[in-house]
Amino acid sequence: MSPAATRAEPSAPLRVQEIPPADHLAFLDGRSSASFLQTPAWGRVKAEWRRESLGFFAGDELVGAALVLYRQLPRLKRYLAYVPEGPVIDWGDDDLARWLEPLAAHCRARGAFGVRMGPPVVTARWSAQQVKDGIADDAVRRLGDLAPLERDVVGARVVSQLESLGWRHQGVEGGFAAGQPQFVFQVPLVDDDAAPLDEDAVLKAMNQQWRRNIKKAAKAGVEVQSTSGVAEALEALPDFHELYVHTAERDHFTPRPLSYFRTMVEALAGEGEQLGQPDRLRLHLARHEGDLVAATIAIRVGTHAWYSYGASSTEKRDVRGSNAAQWAMMRDALAAGAHVYDLRGITDTLEADDSHVGLIQFKVGTGGQAVEYAGEWDLPLNKVLYRAFSLYMARR
Amino acid sequence: MSLTLTVDGPRWREHLRRTAAAHPGLVPVVKGNGYGFGLGRLARRTQWLAEQDLGHEPGAGTCDTLAVGTYDEIGEVAQRFGGSIVVLTPWRPFGTALEATDDDHLAERLVHTVGRLEDLRDLLERRPRARFVLERMTSMQRHGFTARGLWSVGEVLRAHPGARLEGVAMHFPLAHGSHTSEASRLLTDVVGAELPEGDGARTVWVSHLSDAELAGLAARWPEYRFRSRMGTGLWLGERSALSVTSTVLDVHPLERGDVFGYRGRTAPKSGHLLVVTGGTAHGIGLEAPTGDLGLRGRAATLARGGLDAVGFVRSPFSIDAKQRLFAEPPHMQASMLFLPTGARVPAVGDLLDVRVRYTATTFDRVVVT
Repeated sequence: MSPAATRAEPSAPLRVQEIPPADHLAFLDGRSSASFLQTPAWGRVKAEWRRESLGFFAGDELVGAALVLYRQLPRLKRYLAYVPEGPVIDWGDDDLARWLEPLAAHCRARGAFGVRMGPPVVTARWSAQQVKDGIADDAVRRLGDLAPLERDVVGARVVSQLESLGWRHQGVEGGFAAGQPQFVFQVPLVDDDAAPLDEDAVLKAMNQQWRRNIKKAAKAGVEVQSTSGVAEALEALPDFHELYVHTAERDHFTPRPLSYFRTMVEALAGEGEQLGQPDRLRLHLARHEGDLVAATIAIRVGTHAWYSYGASSTEKRDVRGSNAAQWAMMRDALAAGAHVYDLRGITDTLEADDSHVGLIQFKVGTGGQAVEYAGEWDLPLNKVLYRAFSLYMARR
Repeated sequence: MSLTLTVDGPRWREHLRRTAAAHPGLVPVVKGNGYGFGLGRLARRTQWLAEQDLGHEPGAGTCDTLAVGTYDEIGEVAQRFGGSIVVLTPWRPFGTALEATDDDHLAERLVHTVGRLEDLRDLLERRPRARFVLERMTSMQRHGFTARGLWSVGEVLRAHPGARLEGVAMHFPLAHGSHTSEASRLLTDVVGAELPEGDGARTVWVSHLSDAELAGLAARWPEYRFRSRMGTGLWLGERSALSVTSTVLDVHPLERGDVFGYRGRTAPKSGHLLVVTGGTAHGIGLEAPTGDLGLRGRAATLARGGLDAVGFVRSPFSIDAKQRLFAEPPHMQASMLFLPTGARVPAVGDLLDVRVRYTATTFDRVVVT
């Protein structure tokens, strides 16, 4: 988006008010894309928080939307208003105050002591090759030590404006933040001129190992079954979850219960069906001779496709079920006309002996880009409560 | 018969070389009284530094540019230094700035500092191929563009393809904690400015950043090149190579009650009256603000200012490592000191050490050994 194009528009103050989820959904559907964390469905997944669909109005026209999750402060009727990977507004506007001030005022009226949001704007990108070289180079410790391919003008202006509007960046170094990751890994599915790539081009960008593994899986007879719509996804879910719990035990993380995924499927896939998009949420199950060797969940909103959850068996690793499932998701995204396949969070550490580096290396093999977003930002509305909340979060 | 700055040449030059070697892209600042050395001498010295082999990568540009404070200072340095000259005071469409802008011989060497959109347009109308740096306002709030101002610059520059952007300049206040986060914030504004691609869009001229701050910034913004503008740290960084001396011109014994001086003061006790070189014309006895905002600092300033009101006040002249008292406020070119009975009395022609602020002192002679 050209910042110059938006600057010419007059800066009229915007009105923020609650809107029906159906209007919210229709607004998102009219745009190229939005984070799935900004869909009304996601609010239903996060059922433990109060949720609200907000509309931004210029006159009578709906020009922006936000899913706000209200997280209650322990024992108090005060909330952190959380807008994950949003709001969905014109971030190229050089006058962000006219969007953000009414948003903050609305949240304050709803009992919020602070607002947290994650502007969905990119600030910098690095190529897979750069990341690879960075890991190999002892002098490079973090992604930021490498000159990026590009720094984004819109992203920079957003950051500048948030600073001057009193928002505070919630930075973390060397690990994942409590909220959404600031650094992600993405595989572009269109070229620099936004023309769609074909499968060969995407394969060609991958490293040799990834290509070899995808071929190996096909040769070994791994078959990937992909669901369509809510019913099929729910049917496949127990198989996915069994393997996911197995993966959690092996890789030492706490698995989410089956009920969480059921809610997620019903909400997100259900929202897709409502829009006539049976692939909004899809499970992909990779089987070898009847044995489930890998299973994943993919989500797509408009032109943005995400790899959301993954699981893999400890047996039969040599048939490369994970690569087969990833490739199935990428082909799926390509076929749906997506512009980007998003492998989600990475840490910004490039130290070869860091525990997170293996994850980056896996994602880097896809040949995409490491992408830095503006990160999460807080606006304290009640300084005392906000400070108490920050302390509470720090000690958790 | 003069107030003399004596420079231990080998030691000073070694310090200059070492400092330049440690700061690739260094831009020596040569302004005001030339840090006591004089503008001309520092311009020649910068030329000398530019010709040294400092072991830098080609293109580092160390000392290929010097910085003067004002357009009026250009004349002092232009003949003695062959490289580019950046003027730190922002360009304005009046006064000597215009004379310099209109000078065809200078045009190729002059780098203007621009801090307002209207000035940029004006400058480029007068000289479409002008060289300039864009100053970004810092927390000092002195000169320069705001973030939004800088964002508009990109458009102006795209309309003037001949304009030669040499970088963005930031002038930080003297140490108040680390400048790294402020500098980083301002660099985000530079990204937001969408400056036309080229070296200029990736060069940042900074003042008053410590080596650690510079290293931190370079790590965080690896595609940017930082050029350190340095005056005090460069020219005055090796204090032990510098000494300032005054000459004893006359010595008179004094009894308690004797009347002396321009103002007919009376000696409070017996001793000697010393007449030494160095007076108000050199900056002796004139206090530059020390920047010490504490009560004690302000009290000391008051005391020095109120010299003739009560008693004697400590002078910057010392004898046998002890600072001596002014017998009366300094004269234009000489000062009268009071030496109480019992102290060693120097002879006419002896040299006394003087403690001065180099940036506020005019020396009669500068001797570089």
